[in-house]
Amino acid sequence: MARFLTIGERIHVISPVIRKALQERDPEPIIARAREQIEAGAHYLDVNIGPAEKDGEELMPWVVKLLQSEFPNTPLCLDTANTKAIEAGLKVYDPKPGKAIINSADAGSRIGMLEVAAEYGAMVIGLCAKEGIPRDNEERIAYCTEILDKAIAVGLNPEDILFDPLFVVVKGMQEKQQEVLDAVRQISEMGLKTTGGLSNVSNGCPKEIRGLIEAVFCSMAIQCGLSSAIINPLNKLLMDVIKTAEVIKGWNLYCDSYLDL
Amino acid sequence: MAYKKPVQKFTGKIREVTLGENLKLGGESVLPFYSFDGDTGHKPALGMEIWDVYPESWPATIVNELGDKARKPAEWAKYVEEKYSPDFICLRLVGANQDAGDKSPEECALVAKEVAEAVNLPLVIAGCDSNEKNGKIFTKVAEALPEKNIAFLSAVEGNYKEVGAAVGLAYGNIVVAESSVDLNLAKQLNILLMQLGVKPEKMLMNPGCSAVGYGFEYVVTTLDRIRLAALDQNDTTLQMPIIMPVSFETWKVKESVATEDDVPEWGNQEERGIAVEISTAVGVLVAGANAVILRHPRSLQVLREFINCLI
Repeated sequence: MARFLTIGERIHVISPVIRKALQERDPEPIIARAREQIEAGAHYLDVNIGPAEKDGEELMPWVVKLLQSEFPNTPLCLDTANTKAIEAGLKVYDPKPGKAIINSADAGSRIGMLEVAAEYGAMVIGLCAKEGIPRDNEERIAYCTEILDKAIAVGLNPEDILFDPLFVVVKGMQEKQQEVLDAVRQISEMGLKTTGGLSNVSNGCPKEIRGLIEAVFCSMAIQCGLSSAIINPLNKLLMDVIKTAEVIKGWNLYCDSYLDL
Repeated sequence: MAYKKPVQKFTGKIREVTLGENLKLGGESVLPFYSFDGDTGHKPALGMEIWDVYPESWPATIVNELGDKARKPAEWAKYVEEKYSPDFICLRLVGANQDAGDKSPEECALVAKEVAEAVNLPLVIAGCDSNEKNGKIFTKVAEALPEKNIAFLSAVEGNYKEVGAAVGLAYGNIVVAESSVDLNLAKQLNILLMQLGVKPEKMLMNPGCSAVGYGFEYVVTTLDRIRLAALDQNDTTLQMPIIMPVSFETWKVKESVATEDDVPEWGNQEERGIAVEISTAVGVLVAGANAVILRHPRSLQVLREFINCLI
């Protein structure tokens, strides 16, 4: 069994520091955020440039080249709804450390990202949604199947898709949590890979308990088969919980120092 | 539809470690001898054991054949190299044991140096029964023979700091991490050595050996699980090649030690010893060992043929 895959979420346009650095093409803050996430153990780095309607086609390649020249062993997850920007990023991406991941395709207007992934040999996150948040698991699985069918039609290997059932916020959608976990289970039982944004779950909660909520949700989701997550790797509790869950699942051989690795 | 042979592909790969000048161990990315699945890496290596003292307890044909050379380790080593050309020689410092002469670390270093100068084959140094004394012996031997890719058997939980620091860090030789048939400890010891600063390409592991019939199933499943963790889970802390001192175990069990007078129904004593040695070596090789240490020339011959037939 492969290990749990972590995608670091901290290079995100929503952060004022990153937004400014992206606008001004200032490498330092971006490199600093990348470094701290890699040192904390993130396997992939997500690069969210927002919609970037004006300059996405120029911005994405710039940041891809910047990160790859500084961290040649870390693969990237390219995150924007702007297809042209994704393509421009993939054109300059070096797949040596691992295939790029496109974040994301869905069963609606962004289904075309599957073709982009197939064309460039990339992986892709398949959001089990069409418009907004899916109503229930019937919808989730229907969208999952739609994405899968389309992927096979365009020649994309199902192994290269991370299906995201769309994690939802606990504060306000508490009654939906078990349903999301069940979706993870159903998709995993189809032999497919899964992922999800953990910060969605704790959004709006007090800062001091967000890390705990994410860690507990993540471990429960891993038990349901979750194979990767988009996370804040600086959350040490979460990282330790993931490592421990991997040991309990038998994905990593136990030894006394397993948390040090 | 044409039959498509399924292939078991792994993400992990066993590291390549060089003994001596160019005996490469490891490098495989499939289970042992699974050449139909992919790259089996370098051929398993066969080493022959010699002692620093007269091998009184050894099979008569070996002792007779050696004659006076059995009292001179350098000549013994040279003879083995020329006559049997194993892949490496293992000098075992039995004379450092209290009841066999209690040689000092300095004396051990002298013998090791003589042997190293007498042969071209890669060398493996095995210590005595005391892990504490081995720490001191290995420090002296490694100091006398620095940067020669000599493997030292072994660093254990109790002495890994001393052995790792001297053998691996100060004098650039190879540390063998030994645990007692406990895969969690095998992994832990590797991590501790790496945290000490020993480079993984200067490490081998011995996850614990026994003779067939003596908890051997557990030895084999431990090897199996270590190899599966290394290959299937791509566990980099367990991707070191494995070396096993088979002869150390097999020639001391009752099947090898009991004389024909004592148990006539068991038949010829030496034949029995060889049979135990061969079965044990084959067992650990097919479970993942990359190198084994043998005593009897017949075992060497049979094992060599066995490996050549499979790869």
